[in-house]
Amino acid sequence: MDTPYAIEMLNITKRFPGIIANDNITLQLKRGEIHALLGENGAGKSTLMSVLFGLYQAEEGIIKKDGKVVSIKNPNDANDLGIGMVHQHFKLVQCFTVLENIILGVETTKNGILQKDEARKKVMALSEKYGLMVDPDALIQDITVGMQQRTEILKMLYRDNEILIFDEPTAVLTPQEIAELMQIMKNLAKEGKSILFISHKLNEIMEVADRCTVLRRGKYIGTVDIKDTTQEELSRMMVGRDVQLVVEKGPAHPGEVVLDIRNMTVASKVHNNNAVKNVSLQVRSGEIVCIAGIDGNGQTEFVYGLSGLEPLVSGTITMLGKDITRATIRERASEMSHIPEDRHKHGLVLDYSLEYNIVLQRYWQPEFTKNGFLDQKAIRNYAERLIEENDVRSGQGAITTTRAMSGGNQQKAIIAREIDKKHELLLAVQPTRGLDVGAIETVHRNLIRERDSGKAVLLISLELEEVMNVADRILVMYEGEIVGDLDPKQITVEELGLYMAGAKRNTVKEGA
Amino acid sequence: MNGKDSFFRRPGVQTFLSSIICVVFGLLLGYIILLLINAKGASAGIVTLLKNYMNYPTRPAQMKYLGNTLVKMAPLLMCALSICFCYKAGLFNIGAAGQYVVGAGACLYGALSLKLPWIACLLFSIVIGALWGMIVGALKAYLNVNEVISGIMLNWIGLYLVNMSLAPVKELASPYTQKVAAVNKAALLPSMGLSSLFSKNQYVTIAIPLSILTAIVLWVVLNKTAFGYELKATGYNKEASRYAGMREKRNIIITLMIGGALAGTGAAFLYLTGFEEWSVTQSSVPGMGFNGIAATFLGGLSPIGTIFASYFIQHITSGGAYLDKAIYPSQISDLIIALIIYLCGFVLFFKTVMNSRRPAKVINNANDTEKKGGKAQ
Amino acid sequence: MTLLIQYTLIFASVLLLVALGGCFSEHSGVINLGLEGIMVLGALGGALAMKYVPSTVPAIVMIFVVSLCAILMGMLYSALLGVAAIHFKADQTLIGTAMNIMSTAAATVIVKAINVAENPDNISSAITYTGARAAFTVRLGNFEFNWFILIAVCALIISNIVLYYTRFGLRLMACGENPQAADSVGINVYKMRWAGVLISGLLGGLGGIVYITAGVSEWKFEVGVAGFGFLALAVMIFGQWKPKRIALAALLFGFFRALSNVYTGFPFLAALNIPSTVYNMFPYIISLIVLAFTSRNSAAPKAEGIPYDKGSR
Repeated sequence: MDTPYAIEMLNITKRFPGIIANDNITLQLKRGEIHALLGENGAGKSTLMSVLFGLYQAEEGIIKKDGKVVSIKNPNDANDLGIGMVHQHFKLVQCFTVLENIILGVETTKNGILQKDEARKKVMALSEKYGLMVDPDALIQDITVGMQQRTEILKMLYRDNEILIFDEPTAVLTPQEIAELMQIMKNLAKEGKSILFISHKLNEIMEVADRCTVLRRGKYIGTVDIKDTTQEELSRMMVGRDVQLVVEKGPAHPGEVVLDIRNMTVASKVHNNNAVKNVSLQVRSGEIVCIAGIDGNGQTEFVYGLSGLEPLVSGTITMLGKDITRATIRERASEMSHIPEDRHKHGLVLDYSLEYNIVLQRYWQPEFTKNGFLDQKAIRNYAERLIEENDVRSGQGAITTTRAMSGGNQQKAIIAREIDKKHELLLAVQPTRGLDVGAIETVHRNLIRERDSGKAVLLISLELEEVMNVADRILVMYEGEIVGDLDPKQITVEELGLYMAGAKRNTVKEGA
Repeated sequence: MNGKDSFFRRPGVQTFLSSIICVVFGLLLGYIILLLINAKGASAGIVTLLKNYMNYPTRPAQMKYLGNTLVKMAPLLMCALSICFCYKAGLFNIGAAGQYVVGAGACLYGALSLKLPWIACLLFSIVIGALWGMIVGALKAYLNVNEVISGIMLNWIGLYLVNMSLAPVKELASPYTQKVAAVNKAALLPSMGLSSLFSKNQYVTIAIPLSILTAIVLWVVLNKTAFGYELKATGYNKEASRYAGMREKRNIIITLMIGGALAGTGAAFLYLTGFEEWSVTQSSVPGMGFNGIAATFLGGLSPIGTIFASYFIQHITSGGAYLDKAIYPSQISDLIIALIIYLCGFVLFFKTVMNSRRPAKVINNANDTEKKGGKAQ
Repeated sequence: MTLLIQYTLIFASVLLLVALGGCFSEHSGVINLGLEGIMVLGALGGALAMKYVPSTVPAIVMIFVVSLCAILMGMLYSALLGVAAIHFKADQTLIGTAMNIMSTAAATVIVKAINVAENPDNISSAITYTGARAAFTVRLGNFEFNWFILIAVCALIISNIVLYYTRFGLRLMACGENPQAADSVGINVYKMRWAGVLISGLLGGLGGIVYITAGVSEWKFEVGVAGFGFLALAVMIFGQWKPKRIALAALLFGFFRALSNVYTGFPFLAALNIPSTVYNMFPYIISLIVLAFTSRNSAAPKAEGIPYDKGSR
């Protein structure tokens, strides 16, 4: 134990066909510290953690535990070395109790029968010690996301893990739960646990971490002490240039009201409450209205309600003066384009060719279907035009199976399709999710061009930077309600953060 | 990548090769079983099985029995098309077996009890089959009932219903229904001169060309029309097709109605030829619908491939009848068919192997292309 | 009346055994539509044992040997599902269907081959086991008690304990609900699924032999097991994948089956003049109705039918 490091990953290189996910990365985690791992989507954070957890084997580099080289071939090896991980998507069995989930895999038995009482005592003691309040006999499907996460943490502690990995743990939490989590992490570190905290949220890193390692596009950029650095410096390291990615953008010229939503309420699929509560808003032509908020505050359900994927509990939607509250998806689509949040689930039929995906909503229109028969030639010509104009790259052009295309090009194809389609309103839901910086810029430029051509744009975004740069007007959604109607030119990021965290709210001006 | 590589990478070629592998292995296993039962006659046995109607020495006799094979191929093909069509829309229509059963009940009831002409009997089968499919579709669309489970339940309900409703028109001395030819000649499907091509085989009717025509029509519908585009999109990705404004509930119901109509027609194509009668005491669902699953998968899930697969399966089934019963049971052919279906489950694996052997980068890996198995509720 | 109770109990035992088998397989994440086929093979194994074991051996030996053969055959046959579904990610519906077709064909071929070898003129697919069957039953006045009823009750108790009170049960169900979660805590999903499938083979095979010896002394393998495997599937669904409820469902469905056999013995039922097919149809109709009401919030294991791939976490 003559080294201060609990875990060292030295010169790790991991390649996948076509890309180097980790290129000579070094990460050293001290005992009892909270070490942040910062990077954009696709920077290689998940790959690096998968290597540490034994899910992937690195081609080059070594891993040391307490100064000794170890080999981690599967998650069991990682567990044996005392490495535990709270995955971004929880690994919990919904119909089991909290206690059953905690003991799963390390059960104690007597004559073959499970001994839950001992386990319950240990769990209660642990939850007392670290301030992790859970009901051990509640079913996972009945408890909040925050409690599910605490169950995951208890799983690691129950196994006496010393090295705890948190993979983007705050993405799904409410602000109160985030604050609680930060406190829990500090408690854990105080008790001597070593914590790796994967995040791309600078304020959280500044608050909780001791040191921070930054990755960019699979490469190691550096490790800094948090007390010697600033948010600005960290973000520069993360994106590789000054963050001021402000897109060239003139003033907005809002025209008539295109979309008018009044008192929209949408039920939730996961709990019994409504996910969207009494939301009213308007979007005019020639402006970009952005709905900002932390993930899981009702944005998804709002989009489902607006696009017609889910029925409203109450409220009305009017578009261009026409009531579309009960209109079908296809009727709405005649004036509304929709870049969906999840391109694999909603945006594309991955087993279809690119050209077929490009006419996904329009295949039935007279332009592409004659007497019930598809006009393959018209589809091909149209697809090739869009591919050309938008620089969508793929192996075989229009006939490429979309599954074989890169995420960025898939998204380009969707955006091209939605923008070319006849519409007055563009609904863009996290359109830059999972894209690299260059692609993000293109998307932003597209949105602004849409606005300048007189369309109404409704952008749903989780990224503060995007919200500040692109929006003409910001609406903040918190727990299913609009809690702020803000002008990006007159507000700071910090203030916006307060609204998003539910710490501040202003009354929404009717039809502002 | 050279030309030969890309030939083997074509999905159509891979599907064809996979089917051939299934057939070859199936026959090989069948041969081994023959060897185990009686080593001496095994080679002659497998040849007999494969020769089917060619076992007859004279050409007229051969044509006549080729006719018989085709007569039974028509209903098999219709059942296979039912399953194939639904599978393209993401639905496993195991209920085709039951839709076939109620179709049989409908046409025989029409022919024997109501004394209707053939066209009415045929329509009756289509409607009742579609209705049976619609129940599965409606349960799936509105109540989220898995189509495999409801299909299985409806198979049995259909069997008992048909046994019950055909009981009044059975022969007194046997459990079989009366002969259509004897009771109501007008209910027999017309031959349009086809029977003369097959040595006056009276059972050869328009059913055979109609079933092949149906396959071609379905191919066109699936590949060339907006309706087919929509169905396949729903099959590949239900969420995305909903997002794109397709009405997936309606599509599920329509798909299964069409599937039911196809299977129901299949039954009419057999029972309205007078080739077979229905036994009102049968205690198992007839295997036609299940053999249809074999033909569908062996046909590479394509309507055109299904034509050939149906013929092949019926060919060896009929061929089984020519085995020397004192040595080999005729169920050997059923066994071979079952082995082939079982092997069809490995097609995904065969294709993965074909892809991974090539040095070029593999775009589709097995996890991506696999269809998720049905989820029983 | 005694006859009705007797038939109800024995049919319920068959359904209980096979449905519990299905329950284990589905809780591990593998849909087993091949239960019918497993029953046929189990029945064949047991029937062959009865054919060759001299009927003079003590009853307990006979029961043991026959059960063992049925179980072994059932498990061997279920391995076909295991290999295809667990390792080759085959479509489980397709494999189950293939197994059902194959079972009847294979059993018929085997029995016919044996019969023909013994006597070239005997091309039937039947096995007779009058003597051996006597070992299974005890006469209590009018009532014929079958030892397999006791075995089915034991299977129920053991299944309930195993699923809900043991480490194995906890891990098995984790694999059927969320295999990624199970894998992340070091559980070998493939192994657990194999266990589930093999247990379904064990219980399904046992159910097969109980079924063919329930009331007759000869079985024609051409008819398979006449849909009893599918009925067991319905029992499992009606029982919402829970052993205790499965037992109740088995009793109910067994009762309907028994009614269709003996309803003529009851004057008021005979007077209603409902054909036996109606009683046969009833269980399926009830299951369908139950499905219609419960499928929105199904109790079915969430990951069943989805092949597990270690790569896609």
